Amino acid sequence: MAWLHTWAGLVFGWLLFAIFLTGTLSYFKEEITQWTQPEIVPHEVSDAVAAERAQQWLQANAPDAKRWFIRLPDERNPDIALTFNPAKGGFEQKSLDSVSGQPVQARESMGGEFFYRFHFQLQMPHPWGRWLASVAAMVMFVALISGIITHKKIFKEFFTFRPRKGQRTWLDGHNAVAVLILPFHLMITYSSLVIFMTMVMPASILTTYGSNTSAFFDDLFPAFKSAPPVSEAAPLASIVPMLEVATQKWDGSRVGLITVNNPGKANATVALGRNGADHIPHEPGTALMFNGVTGELTQQSSMTAASLLLAGGMYGLHMGHFAGPLLRWLYFLAGIGGTAMIATGLVIWLGKRRLKHAKSGVLPFELKLVEMLNVASMSGLMLAVVSFFWANRLLPVSFAARSDWEVKTFFCVWGLALLHAFGRVFFRDGRTAWREQLTLAAALYCLLPVLDMVTAGSYLWASLKQGQWTLAALDLTALATGVFLAWGALRFRGEALGVIASKQTPTGSNRTTVQEAR
Amino acid sequence: MLLATLLCYVGFTALCLSMNRHAEDLLGASLSFARSRAARWLGWGVLALSLWVALVSLSVGQALVQWFAALMGSAFVLVFVMSYWPRLAVSLAAIGAVLCPVAACFQLLA
Amino acid sequence: MDAAMAPAPVPEKRPRAPKKSAAGEVSMRWRLAVASRVLAAVIGGYLLASLASVCLAYFLPLLFQSSRAEAAVLSMTLSFLFYLPAVLWCFACRTALRAWLGLLGPSAVLGAVYACARWLV
Repeated sequence: MAWLHTWAGLVFGWLLFAIFLTGTLSYFKEEITQWTQPEIVPHEVSDAVAAERAQQWLQANAPDAKRWFIRLPDERNPDIALTFNPAKGGFEQKSLDSVSGQPVQARESMGGEFFYRFHFQLQMPHPWGRWLASVAAMVMFVALISGIITHKKIFKEFFTFRPRKGQRTWLDGHNAVAVLILPFHLMITYSSLVIFMTMVMPASILTTYGSNTSAFFDDLFPAFKSAPPVSEAAPLASIVPMLEVATQKWDGSRVGLITVNNPGKANATVALGRNGADHIPHEPGTALMFNGVTGELTQQSSMTAASLLLAGGMYGLHMGHFAGPLLRWLYFLAGIGGTAMIATGLVIWLGKRRLKHAKSGVLPFELKLVEMLNVASMSGLMLAVVSFFWANRLLPVSFAARSDWEVKTFFCVWGLALLHAFGRVFFRDGRTAWREQLTLAAALYCLLPVLDMVTAGSYLWASLKQGQWTLAALDLTALATGVFLAWGALRFRGEALGVIASKQTPTGSNRTTVQEAR
Repeated sequence: MLLATLLCYVGFTALCLSMNRHAEDLLGASLSFARSRAARWLGWGVLALSLWVALVSLSVGQALVQWFAALMGSAFVLVFVMSYWPRLAVSLAAIGAVLCPVAACFQLLA
Repeated sequence: MDAAMAPAPVPEKRPRAPKKSAAGEVSMRWRLAVASRVLAAVIGGYLLASLASVCLAYFLPLLFQSSRAEAAVLSMTLSFLFYLPAVLWCFACRTALRAWLGLLGPSAVLGAVYACARWLV
C-alpha cells in the first residue's frame, strides 16, 4: 500500500501539482480577469437594465443566431457576457460594458479563464485533456486513500509537526497539510471525478439509452429540449418582465444565465437559470421557461431528485460559486494546502532516496531526472504563472494577438525553466537549479506590484478610489508569494552540509543548523 | 459561525492536551490519566457542540460546509501555533473559551 | 531449541517484496508482476466499476421511485466507490493472478446478473 502511494504520487505528482495550482488560482479567476483587464470598471447596474442592454445589442448584431446566452453582471463579474452561435456556425463571445451596452474597450486577455481551462483541459485538444485530467483525478483519489491507510499513526500524530528536523519535518509537513485539510482534499478529488462522469463512466447511460444519448439529457432536463427553428418570424418579447417573474418565483434569488432559443422566430423560448451565488448545488434543472413571443411563463422546473442534488451538490462544492469572500479565501488556502501536500510528497520521494547516495555524492540518472522534473514542475510553473501577468502588463494594449501571446509566454517560460533545470541538475547540482529559479520567481512576484503601478497605475488608483480592492489584492498576494519564494530560495544558499540522522537536535537558528543534503 | 469556530479551536486543544506527548509541550507536564480522559471527552464534546451551533444557525448545506471549514482552519491554526509557540496555543484556547459566551450572545441577537 | 517447539511460520498475507539481486536490481519477474497488477487495476477496475454502475442503473428504478435518468446519474456518481477498492485490492493481494481473479470474478457475476435480468426475466 505504501508502495502504491509513493509511486502513484510520483508518476502523477508533477501533473497534479499543475492541476492543483491552476485550480486554486481559478477560485479567483474573475478577480484575475479584472486585473488583466483593468480598463473594465465595475458599475452598479440592475439586472433589468443589463438584460435590456444585452437584448438590444444581440437584436442588432446577432438577429439570426440560433441561440443567445446572456450572463448578467454581478459582484465579481463587471461585464455582460454574451455567447451566441451565428448563422455561419461555431460560437462567438462578446463582453458588453454594463453601463454603455457596447462591447468593452479593454485589452484582450484570457485572464483567469486561462488558468481555469488549463486546470481541466491541460491545453490539449478536446477531449484528451479532460481524459488525462480525469485519470489524474482517479490516481489522486487512490493516492489519498492509500496515504490514509499507510499512515498508521494518523490519530496519534494528528497534531504533530516538528520543525527544523530535516526529512522528519518534511514528512510531518506532508502529513499536516494532508490530514488537517483531508475533508477538502477528499471532496475536491471525488467531485472532480463526478464532474466528468458522463464522459469517463458512460456505461450506465449506454445500457439504458443505447446510442440515443440526447434522450438522457432530455429526460434529465425536460425544460431544455430545444426545437429546431420555425421559418415564421416574430419579434422577441422583452426579457425584463421575465426577470421580475423569476424574482417572485425564486424568492429573491437572482438570475444567472439567460438562454434564448430561436430568437426572432415564432417558436422562440427563453430559459432563466439561477445565479449560483446563493445555493450550493449546481442546479441546471431548476429553470423557468417562457414563450419568447408572448413573454408568458410556460414551465417552472425544480431539480429536487436526491440523486441529481447529490451530483449537483458535488459539482457546486468543487466550483465554489456559492462562496462569499471569506469562504472563497478559505477555498484558496485549502487549495494551496493541497498543492503543498503534493509538493512536499515529491520532495520527500527524492529526499529519501537521495540519502542512500549521500556518501558517493553522485545521483543516478533516474534520481536526477526526478529532481529535474521536480524543479521544472514546481518552481518552473510558479515562474510561468507570474510571467503570464508580466506579459499582460508589458504587451501593447492594441496588439491584436496579445491574448495568444500571453499564453505563449506562459508556456515558453515553463519550457525554458525545464531546460534550465536540465542544465543545472545534470551539469551542476539540483540546489543551484532550485536556488536560481526560486530567486528569479521571488523577484518577479515581488516586483509585480511595481510593474502594475508603472504600467497600469491609473487603473489601480481609480479602483482604490472607488473602494474596489481587487487589483490591489492581487498585487499584495503576488508580493506575499514573492516573499515566501525568497524565503525558499534562501534555504538553498551555500553548499549542502552533509547528512545528519533525523534524531539529532538542532543547535540553533535555521541558518547555523547543520542541514541535511537536499 | 464565530462561535462554532472558537468552539472548534477549544475542542481541538482539549483533544491535543489529552495526548501525553503534546501535553508536555503545551503545559510543561503531561496530565494525570483521569484528567487526560476528561480532556478527551471535553474535546469531542465541544467539537460536537460546535457542529450543533452551526446547524441551528444555518441551512444544513451551508452549515456543514462552514463547519468543516472551521474545523480544518482551527486544526491548522492550532498545529501551526503549537509547533512554534506551544504556550501561546493554550493561551489562545483559554481566550477562545472566554469569548465563547460573548460570541453566543452575538449569535442569539443576530 | 527443539525444531518441534519452534513457532509455526505466520502465513504471509501481504504481497511478496521483490527479490533483489546482488547489485540491488529488481528482477524482471517482479517488474512484470507489478505491470500486471497495474493493468488489472486500470482495466479490471474500470470494468468492475462500469458493471456495477450498469447494474445500479438497471435495478434502482425497479426498487425505488426514480426515473431512468436519475438512476443513471446516481449509478455514475457512485461508480468511483467501486473503482477505488478494486485498485487497492490489486496492490494488497498476494499475487498478480489474484489481482486479476479478484476483479474478473465479481465482474462476471455482475455481468451475468445484469444479462439475466435484462434478457431472461
